Amino acid sequence: MLLSELKDHPVMSLESANRVGRVAGAVVDPATRSVVALRLRKTSGDGDTLHWEDVTALGQDAVTVAGQRLVTEARGRAEALSGKEHELVGKRVLTSAGDEAGEVTDVDVDPESGAVARLLTSEGDVEGGRLVGVGSYAVVVRA
Amino acid sequence: MRSSELTKRPVVTMAGEDVAQLKDVVYDGSGGSVGGFTLAGRGLFAGPMKKALSWEQVRALGRDAVMVDSEDAFAEPEAVVERSDARERDVLGSHVITDTGTDLGSVVDVVLQIGDVADVVGYEIESSPALDRDGRRVLIPLPDTMAVSGEALIVPAQATEFVADDLAGFGASVDAFRDHLRGNR
Repeated sequence: MLLSELKDHPVMSLESANRVGRVAGAVVDPATRSVVALRLRKTSGDGDTLHWEDVTALGQDAVTVAGQRLVTEARGRAEALSGKEHELVGKRVLTSAGDEAGEVTDVDVDPESGAVARLLTSEGDVEGGRLVGVGSYAVVVRA
Repeated sequence: MRSSELTKRPVVTMAGEDVAQLKDVVYDGSGGSVGGFTLAGRGLFAGPMKKALSWEQVRALGRDAVMVDSEDAFAEPEAVVERSDARERDVLGSHVITDTGTDLGSVVDVVLQIGDVADVVGYEIESSPALDRDGRRVLIPLPDTMAVSGEALIVPAQATEFVADDLAGFGASVDAFRDHLRGNR
Protein backbone atom coordinates (compact mmCIF):
# COMPACT_ATOMS: atom_id res chain seq x y z
CA MET A 1 0.00 0.00 0.00
CA LEU A 2 1.35 3.41 -0.96
CA LEU A 3 1.71 6.05 1.73
CA SER A 4 -0.04 8.49 -0.60
CA GLU A 5 -3.09 6.17 -0.59
CA LEU A 6 -2.96 5.77 3.17
CA LYS A 7 -2.91 9.49 3.76
CA ASP A 8 -6.25 10.93 4.93
CA HIS A 9 -7.61 7.44 5.61
CA PRO A 10 -9.98 7.57 8.60
CA VAL A 11 -8.79 5.76 11.71
CA MET A 12 -11.76 3.90 13.20
CA SER A 13 -12.13 2.68 16.78
CA LEU A 14 -13.49 -0.87 16.92
CA GLU A 15 -14.82 -0.22 20.43
CA SER A 16 -16.93 2.82 19.66
CA ALA A 17 -17.14 2.61 15.85
CA ASN A 18 -16.20 6.29 15.85
CA ARG A 19 -13.50 7.97 13.87
CA VAL A 20 -10.58 8.82 16.17
CA GLY A 21 -8.51 10.67 13.60
CA ARG A 22 -7.15 10.67 10.07
CA VAL A 23 -3.77 9.49 8.84
CA ALA A 24 -1.38 12.39 8.34
CA GLY A 25 1.77 10.40 7.66
CA ALA A 26 3.94 7.45 8.60
CA VAL A 27 7.10 7.25 10.67
CA VAL A 28 9.64 4.95 8.99
CA ASP A 29 12.61 3.50 10.87
CA PRO A 30 15.50 3.07 8.43
CA ALA A 31 17.19 0.65 10.84
CA THR A 32 14.39 -1.91 10.51
CA ARG A 33 13.14 -0.60 7.14
CA SER A 34 9.59 -0.55 8.41
CA VAL A 35 6.82 1.71 9.64
CA VAL A 36 6.94 2.18 13.40
CA ALA A 37 3.93 4.48 13.75
CA LEU A 38 1.26 6.49 11.95
CA ARG A 39 0.94 10.17 12.67
CA LEU A 40 -2.68 11.26 12.90
CA ARG A 41 -4.51 14.55 12.61
CA LYS A 42 -7.95 15.57 13.82
CA THR A 43 -7.55 13.48 16.94
CA SER A 44 -9.67 14.27 19.96
CA GLY A 45 -7.25 13.28 22.73
CA ASP A 46 -3.78 14.56 23.60
CA GLY A 47 -1.72 12.24 21.44
CA ASP A 48 -1.35 12.16 17.67
CA THR A 49 0.52 8.89 17.25
CA LEU A 50 -0.73 5.39 16.56
CA HIS A 51 2.15 2.93 17.06
CA TRP A 52 2.44 0.07 14.58
CA GLU A 53 1.94 -2.63 17.22
CA ASP A 54 -1.38 -0.98 18.15
CA VAL A 55 -2.79 -1.00 14.62
CA THR A 56 -5.45 -3.68 14.16
CA ALA A 57 -5.54 -3.43 10.36
CA LEU A 58 -4.58 -1.23 7.42
CA GLY A 59 -7.59 -1.64 5.18
CA GLN A 60 -8.47 -0.37 1.73
CA ASP A 61 -10.68 2.35 3.15
CA ALA A 62 -9.79 2.73 6.80
CA VAL A 63 -7.24 1.99 9.50
CA THR A 64 -8.75 0.18 12.48
CA VAL A 65 -7.67 0.32 16.08
CA ALA A 66 -9.05 -1.35 19.24
CA GLY A 67 -9.87 1.93 20.94
CA GLN A 68 -9.20 5.64 21.23
CA ARG A 69 -6.85 5.02 24.18
CA LEU A 70 -4.23 3.62 21.78
CA VAL A 71 -3.78 7.01 20.14
CA THR A 72 -1.00 8.43 22.30
CA GLU A 73 2.07 10.60 22.41
CA ALA A 74 4.95 9.20 20.38
CA ARG A 75 7.28 6.97 22.39
CA GLY A 76 10.46 4.99 21.74
CA ARG A 77 11.63 4.89 18.12
CA ALA A 78 8.54 6.78 16.96
CA GLU A 79 9.52 9.65 19.24
CA ALA A 80 13.16 9.55 18.19
CA LEU A 81 12.15 9.61 14.54
CA SER A 82 9.53 12.34 14.71
CA GLY A 83 10.47 15.49 12.87
CA LYS A 84 10.86 16.55 9.27
CA GLU A 85 14.42 15.26 8.87
CA HIS A 86 13.16 11.68 9.10
CA GLU A 87 10.52 11.99 6.38
CA LEU A 88 11.18 10.25 3.08
CA VAL A 89 8.81 11.76 0.54
CA GLY A 90 10.19 14.78 -1.28
CA LYS A 91 13.77 14.11 -0.26
CA ARG A 92 16.73 13.58 -2.59
CA VAL A 93 18.02 10.03 -2.99
CA LEU A 94 21.76 9.46 -2.59
CA THR A 95 23.41 6.09 -3.17
CA SER A 96 26.07 4.81 -0.81
CA ALA A 97 28.48 5.45 -3.70
CA GLY A 98 27.81 9.19 -3.40
CA ASP A 99 25.70 9.62 -6.55
CA GLU A 100 22.32 11.32 -6.56
CA ALA A 101 19.40 9.28 -7.91
CA GLY A 102 16.32 11.47 -8.07
CA GLU A 103 13.91 12.13 -5.22
CA VAL A 104 11.47 10.00 -3.24
CA THR A 105 7.93 10.42 -4.54
CA ASP A 106 6.13 7.72 -2.53
CA VAL A 107 6.71 4.70 -0.29
CA ASP A 108 5.14 1.29 -0.78
CA VAL A 109 4.45 -0.40 2.57
CA ASP A 110 3.41 -4.01 3.23
CA PRO A 111 0.09 -3.57 5.08
CA GLU A 112 0.61 -6.80 7.06
CA SER A 113 4.13 -6.30 8.39
CA GLY A 114 4.70 -2.59 7.95
CA ALA A 115 7.91 -3.33 6.04
CA VAL A 116 8.99 -0.86 3.36
CA ALA A 117 8.55 -2.87 0.17
CA ARG A 118 9.95 -0.24 -2.17
CA LEU A 119 10.68 3.43 -2.53
CA LEU A 120 9.15 5.12 -5.55
CA THR A 121 11.52 7.74 -6.91
CA SER A 122 11.61 10.15 -9.82
CA GLU A 123 14.16 7.80 -11.38
CA GLY A 124 12.35 4.51 -10.81
CA ASP A 125 11.64 2.05 -8.01
CA VAL A 126 14.17 1.16 -5.33
CA GLU A 127 13.72 -2.08 -3.41
CA GLY A 128 13.01 -1.42 0.28
CA GLY A 129 15.87 -3.62 1.44
CA ARG A 130 18.31 -1.11 -0.02
CA LEU A 131 17.28 1.64 2.39
CA VAL A 132 20.26 2.63 4.56
CA GLY A 133 19.45 5.95 6.17
CA VAL A 134 17.05 8.89 6.23
CA GLY A 135 18.44 12.25 7.23
CA SER A 136 17.87 15.95 6.74
CA TYR A 137 20.00 16.01 3.58
CA ALA A 138 19.09 12.78 1.83
CA VAL A 139 17.61 9.32 1.83
CA VAL A 140 20.62 7.01 1.46
CA VAL A 141 20.18 3.72 -0.43
CA ARG A 142 22.70 0.95 -1.02
CA ALA A 143 24.39 1.40 -4.40
CA MET B 1 38.47 13.99 -12.25
CA ARG B 2 39.95 17.36 -11.50
CA SER B 3 40.55 17.96 -7.82
CA SER B 4 38.95 21.42 -8.10
CA GLU B 5 35.63 19.64 -8.70
CA LEU B 6 35.82 18.26 -5.17
CA THR B 7 35.75 21.62 -3.42
CA LYS B 8 32.41 22.23 -1.69
CA ARG B 9 31.20 18.69 -2.33
CA PRO B 10 29.03 17.73 0.67
CA VAL B 11 30.16 15.10 3.16
CA VAL B 12 27.10 12.96 3.93
CA THR B 13 26.71 10.21 6.53
CA MET B 14 25.02 6.91 5.73
CA ALA B 15 22.22 8.25 7.96
CA GLY B 16 21.60 10.98 5.37
CA GLU B 17 22.96 14.01 7.21
CA ASP B 18 25.23 16.50 5.47
CA VAL B 19 27.80 17.10 8.18
CA ALA B 20 30.47 19.08 6.33
CA GLN B 21 31.78 19.96 2.91
CA LEU B 22 35.22 19.50 1.40
CA LYS B 23 37.52 22.48 1.53
CA ASP B 24 41.06 21.58 0.60
CA VAL B 25 42.61 18.39 -0.75
CA VAL B 26 45.56 17.18 1.33
CA TYR B 27 48.11 15.10 -0.55
CA ASP B 28 49.91 12.17 0.94
CA GLY B 29 53.61 12.96 0.82
CA SER B 30 54.88 9.53 -0.06
CA GLY B 31 52.61 8.05 -2.65
CA GLY B 32 51.28 10.78 -4.86
CA SER B 33 47.74 10.19 -3.73
CA VAL B 34 45.05 11.98 -1.74
CA GLY B 35 45.64 11.59 1.99
CA GLY B 36 42.50 13.39 3.06
CA PHE B 37 40.61 16.64 3.12
CA THR B 38 40.21 19.68 5.25
CA LEU B 39 36.57 20.54 5.88
CA ALA B 40 34.23 23.48 6.04
CA GLY B 41 30.85 23.67 7.71
CA ARG B 42 27.65 23.48 5.68
CA GLY B 43 25.38 26.42 5.14
CA LEU B 44 25.66 30.04 4.17
CA PHE B 45 27.43 31.32 7.24
CA ALA B 46 29.46 28.29 8.16
CA GLY B 47 33.18 28.84 8.37
CA PRO B 48 36.09 26.42 8.43
CA MET B 49 35.77 23.38 10.66
CA LYS B 50 38.43 22.31 13.08
CA LYS B 51 38.17 18.79 11.73
CA ALA B 52 39.65 16.87 8.84
CA LEU B 53 38.78 13.69 6.99
CA SER B 54 41.41 11.10 6.17
CA TRP B 55 41.07 9.09 2.96
CA GLU B 56 40.74 5.80 4.90
CA GLN B 57 37.46 7.04 6.39
CA VAL B 58 35.92 7.88 3.01
CA ARG B 59 33.43 5.14 2.11
CA ALA B 60 32.77 6.50 -1.37
CA LEU B 61 33.61 9.55 -3.41
CA GLY B 62 30.70 9.98 -5.77
CA ARG B 63 29.57 12.50 -8.33
CA ASP B 64 27.43 14.35 -5.81
CA ALA B 65 28.69 13.54 -2.34
CA VAL B 66 31.46 12.10 -0.21
CA MET B 67 30.04 9.29 1.91
CA VAL B 68 31.21 8.55 5.47
CA ASP B 69 29.78 6.18 8.09
CA SER B 70 29.14 8.94 10.63
CA GLU B 71 30.62 12.08 12.10
CA ASP B 72 32.98 9.83 14.05
CA ALA B 73 34.92 9.56 10.79
CA PHE B 74 36.36 13.03 11.35
CA ALA B 75 39.78 13.47 12.90
CA GLU B 76 41.74 16.34 14.34
CA PRO B 77 43.23 18.38 11.48
CA GLU B 78 46.76 17.65 12.68
CA ALA B 79 46.24 13.93 12.19
CA VAL B 80 45.58 14.40 8.49
CA VAL B 81 47.58 17.48 7.58
CA GLU B 82 50.81 16.80 9.41
CA ARG B 83 51.62 13.53 7.74
CA SER B 84 51.38 15.11 4.30
CA ASP B 85 53.68 17.34 2.32
CA ALA B 86 51.24 19.52 0.50
CA ARG B 87 47.80 20.94 0.31
CA GLU B 88 45.92 21.88 -2.79
CA ARG B 89 46.65 25.55 -2.38
CA ASP B 90 50.38 24.89 -2.09
CA VAL B 91 50.47 23.02 -5.38
CA LEU B 92 48.40 25.42 -7.47
CA GLY B 93 50.60 28.03 -9.14
CA SER B 94 53.74 25.94 -8.73
CA HIS B 95 55.89 25.50 -11.80
CA VAL B 96 56.41 22.11 -13.37
CA ILE B 97 60.02 21.61 -14.41
CA THR B 98 61.42 18.64 -16.33
CA ASP B 99 64.44 16.72 -15.09
CA THR B 100 66.28 18.27 -18.02
CA GLY B 101 65.52 21.75 -16.74
CA THR B 102 62.66 23.02 -18.90
CA ASP B 103 59.79 24.96 -17.32
CA LEU B 104 56.57 23.49 -18.72
CA GLY B 105 54.19 25.93 -17.05
CA SER B 106 52.26 26.48 -13.83
CA VAL B 107 49.77 24.16 -12.20
CA VAL B 108 46.10 25.18 -12.39
CA ASP B 109 44.54 21.88 -11.32
CA VAL B 110 45.41 18.36 -10.20
CA VAL B 111 44.01 15.31 -12.00
CA LEU B 112 42.91 12.37 -9.83
CA GLN B 113 41.94 8.83 -10.65
CA ILE B 114 39.56 7.51 -8.01
CA GLY B 115 39.79 3.87 -6.98
CA ASP B 116 40.69 2.33 -3.64
CA VAL B 117 43.09 5.21 -3.44
CA ALA B 118 42.73 8.61 -5.09
CA ASP B 119 45.85 8.52 -7.25
CA VAL B 120 47.35 11.78 -8.49
CA VAL B 121 47.85 10.98 -12.17
CA GLY B 122 48.60 14.39 -13.63
CA TYR B 123 48.59 18.14 -13.52
CA GLU B 124 46.62 20.57 -15.58
CA ILE B 125 49.06 23.32 -16.45
CA GLU B 126 48.98 26.71 -18.10
CA SER B 127 51.57 25.73 -20.68
CA SER B 128 54.81 27.62 -21.17
CA PRO B 129 56.23 28.42 -24.65
CA ALA B 130 58.43 25.30 -24.29
CA LEU B 131 55.38 23.12 -24.94
CA ASP B 132 54.44 25.06 -28.08
CA ARG B 133 50.69 25.05 -27.30
CA ASP B 134 50.11 28.80 -27.45
CA GLY B 135 49.82 28.97 -23.67
CA ARG B 136 46.73 26.75 -23.64
CA ARG B 137 45.89 24.58 -20.67
CA VAL B 138 47.11 21.04 -21.13
CA LEU B 139 47.25 17.89 -19.02
CA ILE B 140 50.60 16.37 -18.21
CA PRO B 141 50.92 12.83 -16.81
CA LEU B 142 52.92 11.98 -13.71
CA PRO B 143 54.93 8.88 -12.83
CA ASP B 144 53.08 6.63 -10.39
CA THR B 145 55.73 7.00 -7.74
CA MET B 146 55.88 10.76 -7.76
CA ALA B 147 55.26 12.63 -4.55
CA VAL B 148 53.22 15.81 -4.64
CA SER B 149 55.05 18.63 -2.99
CA GLY B 150 54.58 22.32 -2.76
CA GLU B 151 58.04 23.14 -3.97
CA ALA B 152 59.66 22.11 -7.23
CA LEU B 153 57.44 19.80 -9.25
CA ILE B 154 59.96 17.87 -11.29
CA VAL B 155 58.75 15.46 -13.95
CA PRO B 156 60.65 13.24 -16.38
CA ALA B 157 61.21 15.01 -19.69
CA GLN B 158 59.39 12.18 -21.54
CA ALA B 159 56.15 13.40 -19.94
CA THR B 160 55.99 16.10 -22.63
CA GLU B 161 55.41 13.37 -25.24
CA PHE B 162 52.23 12.27 -23.45
CA VAL B 163 50.52 15.63 -23.01
CA ALA B 164 46.73 15.58 -23.53
CA ASP B 165 44.27 18.37 -24.26
CA ASP B 166 41.32 17.04 -22.30
CA LEU B 167 40.36 14.47 -19.68
CA ALA B 168 38.67 12.17 -22.20
CA GLY B 169 41.92 10.74 -23.53
CA PHE B 170 44.07 11.47 -20.53
CA GLY B 171 43.67 8.12 -18.76
CA ALA B 172 45.23 6.41 -21.79
CA SER B 173 48.04 9.00 -21.86
CA VAL B 174 48.84 8.30 -18.21
CA ASP B 175 48.90 4.53 -18.76
CA ALA B 176 51.09 4.88 -21.86
CA PHE B 177 53.47 7.22 -20.07
CA ARG B 178 53.80 4.98 -17.03
CA ASP B 179 54.30 1.90 -19.20
CA HIS B 180 56.97 3.81 -21.10
CA LEU B 181 58.78 4.67 -17.85
CA ARG B 182 58.70 1.07 -16.69
CA GLY B 183 60.12 -0.06 -20.04
CA ASN B 184 63.00 2.35 -19.61
CA ARG B 185 64.10 0.94 -16.32
